[in-house]
Amino acid sequence: MTEHEIHEKIRQAYDHATPEVWDAVLSDCKAQKGRVFVMATTKKRKTWVKPLASIAACLCLVVGTIVGSQNYQVNHTVDATVSLDVNPSIEIQVNQKERVLAVIPLNEDGKIIAGDMDFSGSDLDVAVHAIIGSMLQNGYLNELTNSILISVDNNDPLRGAALQERLTAEVNRLLQTDTFSGSVLSQTVDRSDDLRQLAENYGITMGKAQLIQAILAGNELHTFEDLVPLSIHELNLLLSTKPAAATQVEVVGTASDKAYIGETKAKEIAMEKAGISAGDLSAFEIELDTDNGILVYDLEFTSGGYEYDCEIDARTGTVVKFEKEYHGAPANSTSNSSSSSISNSSSTSTSTSNATSDSTSYPTQSNNTSGLNQITAEKAKQIALNHAGVTSGDVSGFKSELDTDDGVRIYELEFRAGGYEYDYEINATTGAVLKSKKEVDD
Amino acid sequence: MSPFAAKTEYKREEASTDLDALLKDISEGSQDALAQLYRYTRSSVYSFALSILKNTHDAEDVLHDCYVSVWHGAAGYRSQGKPLAWMMTITRNLCLQRIRERRKTADIPQEEWTLHLPDDGRLTMEEKCVLSACLEKLSAQERQIVTLFAVSGFKHREIATLLELPLSTVLSKYHRAIKRLKQHLQ
Repeated sequence: MTEHEIHEKIRQAYDHATPEVWDAVLSDCKAQKGRVFVMATTKKRKTWVKPLASIAACLCLVVGTIVGSQNYQVNHTVDATVSLDVNPSIEIQVNQKERVLAVIPLNEDGKIIAGDMDFSGSDLDVAVHAIIGSMLQNGYLNELTNSILISVDNNDPLRGAALQERLTAEVNRLLQTDTFSGSVLSQTVDRSDDLRQLAENYGITMGKAQLIQAILAGNELHTFEDLVPLSIHELNLLLSTKPAAATQVEVVGTASDKAYIGETKAKEIAMEKAGISAGDLSAFEIELDTDNGILVYDLEFTSGGYEYDCEIDARTGTVVKFEKEYHGAPANSTSNSSSSSISNSSSTSTSTSNATSDSTSYPTQSNNTSGLNQITAEKAKQIALNHAGVTSGDVSGFKSELDTDDGVRIYELEFRAGGYEYDYEINATTGAVLKSKKEVDD
Repeated sequence: MSPFAAKTEYKREEASTDLDALLKDISEGSQDALAQLYRYTRSSVYSFALSILKNTHDAEDVLHDCYVSVWHGAAGYRSQGKPLAWMMTITRNLCLQRIRERRKTADIPQEEWTLHLPDDGRLTMEEKCVLSACLEKLSAQERQIVTLFAVSGFKHREIATLLELPLSTVLSKYHRAIKRLKQHLQ
């Protein structure tokens, strides 16, 4: 027997073994689309049922009211809510049997997705299939934007977790397409009034609100408002840059970064903007961040005694922010024009650490003040504290840095006190307060 | 023999386009299209379901549920030239759902599947032999691979994607299974 013959035998055997279910299929495939068809099959009634009917009817009246109301409860009460967020947000309410009670689009994109599909009474899986299909068809999920958030809200946490797991596997499978694989975020929602309030305030789903909270946890870089305008995909990218903290969000698959320029390209752009070559820089750091609702690469590096802080739009490569600060003479260069005043050897070894330490002693102060008529860092601190009306004991997180701004030597000071964050610039020669900023410390 | 059993010898590529077109019509509410889809694909759906469930009653239910799901879900189907793979995914999900339900109501014993093979003359003795060999001599995974290949005409690569297995695994399991069937049937 050849392999082909075996195939043929198997094919035929299964073909003939396949039962005929067309009539039953047909009878179940009409109501939903609003078409009228004559029922093809009617169920046979057993004859002996008839005489018993009246007795049964009486019983039914009694039992029926009890059971019926319970059944009604089971069938018509929302047992779980599943929300799907991409940018379209859609909420699916199901009963205890996981039959769909309602599909509610939560934003304009959601309405496009839901269209006029009617899922009432159908299986949750069927609804999810169709919704994901529609998201793919309408291009909301693609090679560039492959993230989806599934949030399950169930009063019974065990059932909720099980449903979450099942849907995640299911959606993940649906998103294994030819051109891309999906990245599925999932979580069970901790229903709380705070979360609901937050979601309502910003007009987002509780699921998205909870995801943002998860990203914010242990991260002071962003505020809630910063993250609200971001899509789930962008939030997923942010989440992926954080160490997998103790969040409840489970991630399957990787967020596509194809729509973004990438760290290497961002670095090149920054180098070009700064006019330096890659060999000249040190202390390079790059991080995905947000600025005014867009994703940016935040780059920090030092070169030639300058510290650079640069933000580049992660999608377009536009330089959003570019800051260059003098930071002390580089170890391998001799004095240059703007730093002649402090170009002594003692300043070089400690210059980089000053920026982040609490130190108030600058290498420049003792050596150069007399010659330059420059105030000490300690003096600058005092001026700032006086201006802010706080005492040294109240202050925490103090940072100070000597900088050149348009040729003027200034001290830049940052500190926290009494729930506020202060930012100062003090003219290093005159001691004048050039800039003062006070913000609620979050 | 049922009027739908006249399984056509069609080419896979053409079939995919056909099925895509049928699904589009189904999404617009055409029952004729659903009937055609059913005719073309029912043995694929049934054999895959039976491979997973190893129980003819459940497989028959899944066969029914699959087309009902397709009817309701066709609007959300997005053509990737793989309509049959999409249906297989639906079939598998329905099977897994059934297995979960079965576990919940663990009172139904795993009956000997052969007892349920139709005995209405639809199957020849040899066909019964082939089926029992598939169900008894092969592991669940081997059975799925063999039926997807022989009945539904999937390529090994497509089966690997569908079952989330490495291609090498699919190939070795397939060859081992065919060899064993050959020995048994000769």
